Amino acid sequence: MKDDFEDQLRSALRPVDPGNAFCAQVMTRLTASTPSPSPLPGRPAYRWLSAGLVASVAVGICVTWQYQLKRAEGLEARRQLIEALRLTDQKLGSAYRIANSGT
Amino acid sequence: MKRSMKMLVTLLLAWATLYVNVAMAAPPAPIKFPNFEFLSKKATESVTISLDTNTLSIAAGFLDPNDPEDAAAKELVKGLKGIYVRNFTFDDHDDYGSDTQLQSELVTLRSQLKEPDWQQLLAVRNNREQTSSEIYLSVDQGHTNGLVIIDSEPREFTIVNIVGDIDLEKLHRLEGRFGIPKLSAGDALTHCR
Repeated sequence: MKDDFEDQLRSALRPVDPGNAFCAQVMTRLTASTPSPSPLPGRPAYRWLSAGLVASVAVGICVTWQYQLKRAEGLEARRQLIEALRLTDQKLGSAYRIANSGT
Repeated sequence: MKRSMKMLVTLLLAWATLYVNVAMAAPPAPIKFPNFEFLSKKATESVTISLDTNTLSIAAGFLDPNDPEDAAAKELVKGLKGIYVRNFTFDDHDDYGSDTQLQSELVTLRSQLKEPDWQQLLAVRNNREQTSSEIYLSVDQGHTNGLVIIDSEPREFTIVNIVGDIDLEKLHRLEGRFGIPKLSAGDALTHCR
């Protein structure tokens, strides 16, 4: 009885050659189900847009930096002008006081 | 031939006269300041301001016409070609008062302020207070086109040179602004004239 069971098991697990048709069917199904790679929609345009944005930001930073430099220069010039006028008027007043001090 | 030579000589003379007049009408160049490095070393504080025509116009562009102080300064700066200031503050008058190098440099400076281009408007000294002041003006066709002030106080020495069309009345109107107290007499500059 034991030998009969083992024979049955051996028979069930015996490898069976499916034949060439099976391989062809499998390959056909594989190629049919794999989607073909499609290009990203508008890729060159997307690249140009990114480059343009980066360039715009860079130009904006440069322009802002130049503006800040000019502004700082102008404010410093203004400060010096006010100081120069203040000193000039102060010294003219000093001359007047000395002249009127009677000496 | 003689007639053409005469005409040529006349034309040359006329051109030379015109050239001289134009040259004399030009505003004086900024004076040549001495190298005050020796004073800077002794001073507790030194101020060096050199504003040429370009820098003046930049500065004027940043003056607020709605602010009374700035508006007054803007009005004054019109027509100026340059403002140059050297100001030194010391702990004591002796730090610079007896400096022989300074006296020598001042002699050289004053040699630039001689007639006919310059006229000494005022030279006053108060030995008790150790103060002195000299004012030189350059006038062309009724317009002041150059001003030099050499001011010496107990602890402060200042030279101011302004080049261009200066309105002394407008300058006087700056009193009370920029932290300068008003003088009791309103015609301070009349005395300077």
